[in-house]
Amino acid sequence: MFHKILIANRGEIALRVLRACRELGIPTVAVHSTADADAMHVRLADESVCIGPPASRDSYLNIHQIVAACEITGADAIHPGYGFLSENAKFADILEAHKITFIGPTADHIRIMGDKIEAKRTAKRLGIPVVPGSEGGVSDEAEAAKICAKIGYPVIIKATAGGGGRGMKVANNEGELYLALTTARSEASAAFGNAEVYIEKYLQKPRHIEVQVMGDGMGKAVHLGERDCSLQRRHQKVWEEANSPALNAEERDKIGMICANAIAGLGYRGAGTIEFLYENGEFYFIEMNTRLQVEHTITEAITGIDLVHEQIRIASGGGLSVTQADIKFTGHAIECRINAEDPRTFVPSPGKITHYHTPGGLGIRIDSGVYAGYKIPPYYDSMVGKLIVHGRTRVECMMRLRRALDEFVIDGIKTTLPLFRDLVGNADIANGDYDIHWLEKYLAAKDVEEGLAKG
Amino acid sequence: MAAKNSVVDQGLIRDLAGILNETDLTEIEIEQGELRIRVSRAGTPMMAAPQAYAVTPAPAAAPVAAAPPVSPATSVNAVPSPMVGTAYLCPAPGEPPFIEMGSKVKEGQTILIIEAMKTMNQIAAPRSGTITAIIFEDGQPVEYGQPLVVIE
Repeated sequence: MFHKILIANRGEIALRVLRACRELGIPTVAVHSTADADAMHVRLADESVCIGPPASRDSYLNIHQIVAACEITGADAIHPGYGFLSENAKFADILEAHKITFIGPTADHIRIMGDKIEAKRTAKRLGIPVVPGSEGGVSDEAEAAKICAKIGYPVIIKATAGGGGRGMKVANNEGELYLALTTARSEASAAFGNAEVYIEKYLQKPRHIEVQVMGDGMGKAVHLGERDCSLQRRHQKVWEEANSPALNAEERDKIGMICANAIAGLGYRGAGTIEFLYENGEFYFIEMNTRLQVEHTITEAITGIDLVHEQIRIASGGGLSVTQADIKFTGHAIECRINAEDPRTFVPSPGKITHYHTPGGLGIRIDSGVYAGYKIPPYYDSMVGKLIVHGRTRVECMMRLRRALDEFVIDGIKTTLPLFRDLVGNADIANGDYDIHWLEKYLAAKDVEEGLAKG
Repeated sequence: MAAKNSVVDQGLIRDLAGILNETDLTEIEIEQGELRIRVSRAGTPMMAAPQAYAVTPAPAAAPVAAAPPVSPATSVNAVPSPMVGTAYLCPAPGEPPFIEMGSKVKEGQTILIIEAMKTMNQIAAPRSGTITAIIFEDGQPVEYGQPLVVIE
């Protein structure tokens, strides 16, 4: 086991990792910027080192300072948390050269999954379902028609050189294909100077479903079920559930085993998440995150397995503590990400928390680094904390969540608590009937409604 | 009631403070019914310096050896560490140190070394002056922003 772990992160996740280290009896080192000298993870750690000024690139992203902090404190492992350096292959390489253990996968696996094309190619090779489409660029109309007939309409035509929505056209049937193809090609040519386009199946109302996996780096791996993170705003997850209200046990087991086998085949080490779009019973690979995720807590709630304990155990060479047969899903869990933002406009609201009261009782977990009197610095992300609620059934979980949200008090700043109080009472949410566009549509409709009310 | 009292008190205190200055007394105490107010000059009897200067440490008054109340670490002239690492006073073990108390340094002159990631980083004096404090032990780990020396 490790002698001392340095936590290369801040906020709630630094505290989360610190708690796991404490339970395992491993001393901790917190690193922090000058803006975070009063942060809770700094107060609770056994040692702390100031590594730079407020800007992340000079502190939490400053590899030299973090390695130097290991040297002066004698830490022999680093937990990177999420964000910052957690998916930085160069960081993993440097740590290896310095004989400091990176609590995460190998630099090579980070690199493969960090490259969109390479990741998709690897996923496909490992038997993970990917979005069907043309293998490369398509120029010929007859060839395009043949591909589309095979993958099924609707399809989306995208510029090979593209991005930002330009050079993208949807065709709902073969009749629309010719126009879509020529428009996309001319747009691509005008915007990127390259008329090459490719074709993919177009998903209209997909859900975001992701599978949590853990590998021991020696060919063994397990899956810990899925999370449904369809409720998003601007690609930021807002509300996550485990298990997904859209899957049955058979589907869960099937996609779970596909992922576990793929990860075992890759020889992957540590925690990872394979993200999919899900529509009409089919999964389509988006990407793999090679780190702990914000919403790992709901998986912990339904499996009872501490993912950070497991990460540390695997990194120290102790392997997995569980086999697939040991993993059982109990009840339902929901996580709400509470941000320091206006609940309607989502404008960040940094400042001092004057009053802070968290809900309690059975099935409630709060992961947060804030406290009454804490000043939320303007330099980092706006998450104040996570409310995680567990119940024996989804209905019990929702009732408990409603109760917990009513108990939660955060004064002095604006938070997204009112948004969650609104969502928990919504019929679509109650029915689990939502896709990745639901929340943005709902908020847009609300804006219109309130705009009319004012006029 | 508290609010009313505080209004009365403020005026009274101002009056008393005025009298205190006028008469150059150090302390006045009055009693009116249940109310008792004592006004006195702060701390030690520093009658010689009625207007305290905002300028930093005691210039000539105190002998150099004793720099007690103002910690060198909080001095505005302290040089903060630009990085995390292990700070050394000497270029190599056994060699004379770069600086000592009272050394005169020039801007840009190496005053110490910080070892980080197996690299020796020479730390230059940010300005010319005299070393009036060395706030670390040779070979001590230091963090970003930690005061290392004071250059007056």
